[in-house]
Amino acid sequence: MSSYDDHHPSGWGPHDWGHGAPHNSWSPLIMSIGIGVFLFSVAGVYEWGEFIDASYIGVSIAGLAIIFIGLTVWWRQDYTFDGGYEPRSMGTPFRGIEVRKVAVWVFLMSEMMVFTSLFSTYMRYRFGIESCESVFMSGEWVEGSSVTCFEPAGHLIASSWFHLAPGAINTFALIISSFTIVQALRYAGMLDIDEDRRRKLVTRYLGTTWFLAVLFLTLKMIEWFLGFPLPEFLHEYNHGDSTIKSLYAEGYLINADSYQHKYYNTDYVASHGHGLDHESALYLMMEEGTHSGGQMMANIRVSASTFYVTTGTHGAHVLGGIIGLTYMTYKASRGGYTPDNAVSIEYFGLYWHFVDLVWVIVFPFFYLY
Amino acid sequence: MRTKIGRSLVVLAVLSVAMLIAPAAVSYPTGVNGVAQTGCNCHGAVANSDVAPSISGLPDQYNYSEEYEIVVSFTGGPANAANSNQGGFNLWVSDGELAPIDATAQAYGANEASHTEAGNDQTSWTLTWTAPSGDRNVEFILHVNSVNGNEDGNNGGSSGDLWNKLSAKVSPPILVLEEADPFVVLSTLIVVSAVLLIITLTYVFYRTNPESFTWEHFAPWISEWLTSTDHKKIGTLYFVAGMFFLGVGGIMAMMIRIQLAVPGNDFLTQDQYNQFFTLHGTTMIFLAAMPLINGFANWMVPLQIGAPDLALPRINAMSFWLQPVAALLIFTGVFSGSGADTGWTGYAPYVVSETAHLGTTMWVAGQIMLVASSTLTGINFLTTIAVMRAPGMGWLQMPLFTWSILIANLMLFLSIPAFGVGLIQVYLDRVIGTAFYDVSAGGDPLLWSHLFWYFGHPEVYVVIVPAFGVISEVIATSARRSIFGYRSMVYAMAGIGVVSFIVYGHHMFTSGMSPTLRFVTMLTTMLVAVPTGIKIFNWLKTMHGGSLVYRTHTLWTLGFLVTFTLGGISGMFFPSIAMDLHLHESYFVVAHFHYVLVGGTVFGFYAAIYYWWPKMTGRMMDERLGVIHFLTGFISYNALFWPMHRLGVWGMARRHHTYFVTTEEAMGALPMEAAGWNMFVSVSAFLFFFSNFFLIANMIKTVIRGEKAPADPWGGWSFEWMTASPPPTPSFDPHNLPELKDANEHIANEPGTLGKLFNRLMMSEDEEVAH
Repeated sequence: MSSYDDHHPSGWGPHDWGHGAPHNSWSPLIMSIGIGVFLFSVAGVYEWGEFIDASYIGVSIAGLAIIFIGLTVWWRQDYTFDGGYEPRSMGTPFRGIEVRKVAVWVFLMSEMMVFTSLFSTYMRYRFGIESCESVFMSGEWVEGSSVTCFEPAGHLIASSWFHLAPGAINTFALIISSFTIVQALRYAGMLDIDEDRRRKLVTRYLGTTWFLAVLFLTLKMIEWFLGFPLPEFLHEYNHGDSTIKSLYAEGYLINADSYQHKYYNTDYVASHGHGLDHESALYLMMEEGTHSGGQMMANIRVSASTFYVTTGTHGAHVLGGIIGLTYMTYKASRGGYTPDNAVSIEYFGLYWHFVDLVWVIVFPFFYLY
Repeated sequence: MRTKIGRSLVVLAVLSVAMLIAPAAVSYPTGVNGVAQTGCNCHGAVANSDVAPSISGLPDQYNYSEEYEIVVSFTGGPANAANSNQGGFNLWVSDGELAPIDATAQAYGANEASHTEAGNDQTSWTLTWTAPSGDRNVEFILHVNSVNGNEDGNNGGSSGDLWNKLSAKVSPPILVLEEADPFVVLSTLIVVSAVLLIITLTYVFYRTNPESFTWEHFAPWISEWLTSTDHKKIGTLYFVAGMFFLGVGGIMAMMIRIQLAVPGNDFLTQDQYNQFFTLHGTTMIFLAAMPLINGFANWMVPLQIGAPDLALPRINAMSFWLQPVAALLIFTGVFSGSGADTGWTGYAPYVVSETAHLGTTMWVAGQIMLVASSTLTGINFLTTIAVMRAPGMGWLQMPLFTWSILIANLMLFLSIPAFGVGLIQVYLDRVIGTAFYDVSAGGDPLLWSHLFWYFGHPEVYVVIVPAFGVISEVIATSARRSIFGYRSMVYAMAGIGVVSFIVYGHHMFTSGMSPTLRFVTMLTTMLVAVPTGIKIFNWLKTMHGGSLVYRTHTLWTLGFLVTFTLGGISGMFFPSIAMDLHLHESYFVVAHFHYVLVGGTVFGFYAAIYYWWPKMTGRMMDERLGVIHFLTGFISYNALFWPMHRLGVWGMARRHHTYFVTTEEAMGALPMEAAGWNMFVSVSAFLFFFSNFFLIANMIKTVIRGEKAPADPWGGWSFEWMTASPPPTPSFDPHNLPELKDANEHIANEPGTLGKLFNRLMMSEDEEVAH
């Protein structure tokens, strides 16, 4: 305790990784405080979806900044790690496998349960609440008053190839990024290439993974909030509309208690050639004159909440990956990954494959079905 | 570098203080520091005596339930008839009911009233106040704002405005003493406990080297504790935090018992009572029991399996430090007087309704952090136990405490994400306005119950199973023989782990779930008794073949066997659907879960404290004080909870702030004896509470003047007893780990069928084994 330098464990800085003794770190304490401040102040900004106090925005940002400081301390301590002390499992059934690899697998178990719970919520509401389409067809609604029904986001998104494009590109982006992260691992662990080439290749592949992850979130923002215009020759393939609207612009929102969509408008359905199903109750009622038709209004708050929170949780995992990759790319560019500690990339890769796999399940359930 | 530590400590201190102050800044009328002190949203910098507020129409002494017409008004200040806006007011009353008469005023609940937009153009407002039906000292607090009107144009600018405050008191027909605000009492006691804790910790530092009691020495000492990733230090931190919150939860329990000591009591209002039982439950489960488990697990698991530390030491530190911050969030409500009032189960849709207190959001936020903490703990322990067992220690050579921690963490780890997702949904519902549990939008409150109890039922086994582990260790050591039926003990715990996931439906028998599922969960719940029974019989059989040494931890273990078995038997009433419908939400339930959680978990902890204290501190505990602790604690504990069974069968409802007794045979009324029994329970509760002071005294006394402990004071034979007391750091040299050579006591030299299968599948002998 007499002096602090790089050869003695310090709570802030580089570690001496040469032995297994416990080290000190300020990071856990700082990050915990940051998380607390963040959760506390976000609840001060919004309440039941209503904006209440702008002064808390600053505190929220301060919370995030504190988390980031903690994270930086964590990274500073990891930065010197060169694979010199990598304990391995001693007992059945993981004998010889790196301890931290086992830990990542265990962590993924818990992640499975997180997404399982989200899917349980989805299934409960998807199958427990009547879908807006069948309510519309049943004719059990009147124009001007809102009905509660389940409107899957997929109904909007899968209605047009262009609408589906961001999600589809994202799927491929993630699958490719799973490949690039494996390439990064492969080159980091490759023994018969020179150091400089390894450094460049690893940086390049980690950077590509980073780019694909950022692309994923960017396209998601386009899909949720921004929308995009279509070139003119494509309009005819898009029911004559010139833009693809974002989900936000379509009104597919968590507070949409009186959502109106063109598909639930008898005039629109008639004018676009689909026509109403002549077997449907709505058609028969309109023929008899007991239903005047018009546009159905729906309370879709539960459907939108389920969609945004499930895909948002996945998005948060991608964001976490981006934050991790930012550091890893930096470390790689300084030649931090060698065959001795290439396995660190594998730990991240396991998580990244998991995030990829979750998307492969989320995509059909929330975008196509 | 020294200044760096000092600086960071100052920053951390400022942040912690800010987190404590921030909630007070947005406190609510009933709070410790609510409107009575901080005022309404008055404009103008300070109170100004030019403005003279007044309340007329108030009697000196009110009549029960009479309605009084009161006029609040003010004179002076910048208000004058030419202003388009002249003033506003905020009136808060401690009791009775305020109501507006016309459109110039509006009421916020029964206790608070204010002017409306339309009432801005005057300086006097009329309201009615309905006096309470009982005897209370009523306090009125009036804030008035004299407004400069159209100074800044017609938009109602507020420069030059002045405000002032007035308070008035009205007496009841029968004079009563000034009543203490329970929140002030609670907050004071919490702060006093915290100060005592800090003084104790400072004293601990002083004792390390009395000559160097300076900041220069204190800074590295405290920063070592704040940053340590050593499993023993973190274990101690968990232990200190757990004991502190056990005390805080106990204080809340005592206040609940003061309220329930006599029928029709009004020490706690209904509203306050809801917050007290919510925070009592949350504190005891998440902030006391879980940290105590983690404290012992952190200390003992690496020592018992011969590992130098846990697999991920920094993650371990993260697990701990999330907890105090989470506790601050959960308790913000107490200091603002608007704490969570949802019960520890936080049932939807109440938890997402605007009627639920604002503190509920923070309660949810705090629990999200606790979920994160438990997840990290789970990763750490599952990994450590799976991969870091010393050479020679197969799965079936592990000490039973380690097994219990493995099973508990596995249960917790696989169930808590469901709770976490539920909490995040509730947090988002309350904050950004999603509609997961909004019934009007089609949300399903039962979904929350499913997510909660999918976690909640394994959770109650998570807190009891480690106690099983402790009891197994203690009873084998004290009986001076190996545990009877080691393997059946392991399989029984694993069985509890498996069954725990399919029984949770019994918490929802009255929720209208499908009769088929009710029947299934009835059967599975009854099935829990089988592995638990196996364990009880194994413990009895261990004693039968051994020769007991009666130390304090042995006594607590025997106490555990009695009380836990009784709790288990009362638990068997609930799986039976018809019985459950009758006993649901009654004190019988309260009696049952306190018998298993206090008589089971807490008694197990006490045994563990007396058993491992010499190992953890290097000092022997005082046996005489220990026996006194056991005798007073055990007797008062049973006197406290046993009568609750009877109260429950009589129909005393849980979670109700008061009860009434009558001589008549009326529906929902308790017989006259219930009052006496409740008083008896309350007195016993205080005795039990104070009996724990013997433990605290014992701890303090032995740390200061205890006899030095040998490495193995009790004759235990697991790895932790091979290290010095207290153990060195790292606990075992990573390059020279101990080796388990003879595991006869666990009759497990030959792998079983499952072990053989694993051997064939997983273990390749030629693979290089590092380190």
